[in-house]
Amino acid sequence: MGTFGEYIKSALSSIRNNKGRSFLTMLGIIIGISAVLVVLIIGDGMKATVNSEIDSMGASSISVTLDDTKTDKRFTRSQLKAIEENIDGIYGISPSFTVWGNANSKRGEGFELFITGGSESSETASGIKMLHGRYYNSSDVEDGKQVLVVSQSFARNIFGYEEVVGETLDVTAYDITKEFMIVGIREDTPMDIAFSSYGEDIILTADGPYTSLAEAYGFDMDNMFNSFTIYLDSENRNEVLGKARSVVENVTGLRGENAVKISSGSGFDETTNSILDIITSVVAIIAAISLLVGGIGVMNIMTVSVTERTREIGIRKSLGARTSSILTQFLAEASILTFTGGIIGIIFGITVSFIICKIIDFSFSVNPVLVAAVVAISTSIGLFFGIYPAKRAANLDPIEALRNE
Amino acid sequence: MKKLVEIKDVCKIYNPGENEVRALNHVSLTIGEGEFVAIIGQSGSGKSTLMNMLGCLDTPTSGKYFLHGQDVSHMTDDEQSDIRNREIGFIFQGFNLIPSLTALENVELPLIYRGVGKKERDRLASAALKSVGLAKRMTHKPNEMSGGQQQRVAIARAIAQAPPILLADEPTGNLDTASTKEIITIIKRLYHEGRTVIIITHDPGIASQAKRIITISDGMIKSDIINPEYKDEI
Repeated sequence: MGTFGEYIKSALSSIRNNKGRSFLTMLGIIIGISAVLVVLIIGDGMKATVNSEIDSMGASSISVTLDDTKTDKRFTRSQLKAIEENIDGIYGISPSFTVWGNANSKRGEGFELFITGGSESSETASGIKMLHGRYYNSSDVEDGKQVLVVSQSFARNIFGYEEVVGETLDVTAYDITKEFMIVGIREDTPMDIAFSSYGEDIILTADGPYTSLAEAYGFDMDNMFNSFTIYLDSENRNEVLGKARSVVENVTGLRGENAVKISSGSGFDETTNSILDIITSVVAIIAAISLLVGGIGVMNIMTVSVTERTREIGIRKSLGARTSSILTQFLAEASILTFTGGIIGIIFGITVSFIICKIIDFSFSVNPVLVAAVVAISTSIGLFFGIYPAKRAANLDPIEALRNE
Repeated sequence: MKKLVEIKDVCKIYNPGENEVRALNHVSLTIGEGEFVAIIGQSGSGKSTLMNMLGCLDTPTSGKYFLHGQDVSHMTDDEQSDIRNREIGFIFQGFNLIPSLTALENVELPLIYRGVGKKERDRLASAALKSVGLAKRMTHKPNEMSGGQQQRVAIARAIAQAPPILLADEPTGNLDTASTKEIITIIKRLYHEGRTVIIITHDPGIASQAKRIITISDGMIKSDIINPEYKDEI
């Protein structure tokens, strides 16, 4: 260790003796490291900002599914009720059930209708905004009342105006026709917008209590649902995620069978996050190229330095320096250069990202693991790109090297 | 007298083949412990090759070299480094000091490669510098010193770790008359202190200071005599 310390010392003194050149060499590393760091920190900031925007929308959802490769159980109505009561901090849970049907009203002709059945907590799903009337409520669900909430474009297309609360229509599905009453009109959801570009046929959407729909078209409500959605405020998200599994397993008696799948959310924030991650990585890779160029700069300067110091290497060898001593000395020099460059790059990169985050109003945070990784990377760049020149130095023939002027 | 250096039938051939150069042609030579030898020859005579061989900087093409009874003719680079570090103190014509290091640091170099600790290194290096009269120049860098002073630093470096052989290659070649005298005096003193000194030179004036003079020409030893003019005084 003592000898190793001497190599470090002589590397340091050689760096000090060539201050200008050492700084220029480090500059490549400084720029590379800070570019990578700026990209990653701003990427993190962008993600955090976007996530907090998503969270501030308030509504959020978690979906729970029974894995049908592990169990053929279904949720019964009473189990759903029990689950809803046992998870704190949620708006409610809703099974999901859709009916494709054909509807006729007194004023409108036959048209295709897509009905989503759920519980009253579906009202809290993000994107539901009532325009007229009311959403179906718990007593509608409890009693299985034949009511529907229809979309704005439903009302416009079928009735020609929006205020259609109280109107009735017949819905035929599975060869059964039932009469439903419209209790409310909501704004179009993304699904309506998707259907509007579906083709020539107009497909309209409506929401209704899952109980009444199941009853109306002859389904067994205790043996049809293997999934449901939990509606909640995103503030409670982590807490609910932590609890949901055990509640569901307890209520259904599936403890230990690993049959309950929890997928955190509508997928919107996950998708957004993974897109942001991809963007960040692509830009980071581009920034990393500058780091590579910086590393080649180190190799270049070290090679020049070896050539210039051929005589010194010869002297050291004649005095008894082994190949490994010379190798260590030059590797130490390259690593110290890149390590120092890395530290300066980190300070510079963090400062720049802080300023940028302030200007464009992104949240700013520095991941210590990231910083440690960057230090490790910059030092290994020195080792990697130092190997070639250091080997050249170490393998010099002392006689030739001493002859060098 | 114990044998220190024993060279047996050594050849050194460069460019083997048609244009081969026989830098050393079947040279045999024995030098005992505590001798003071000058090897004299013109440039191209093979004396530099002989000096590289003696200094374990080079290996012979054929023949054997025993140093302290140990065969050092076919060693790896690292083994040669260790032998140089332990056995040989070099004094070069061009001083060969590292310009970025102080006198003291230069003298410490071989001790670092030997693995001597910092304290002991400091002690040995300053003692060596004092013995060549440079006690006040320890923190000076080579370019702040005269040629004679630089060569004295180089001598201090050669003797700091007390190697058995001092190998001086034209030690006064770059020096003025006054400095030359000074250096020769120091070298003689080191001989009197019991060290084996080998001086390689082309200058008969320098060679005549030694006790034994070996003349080399065309890669062969032409004469090997005890110097009749040798004066055993400093």
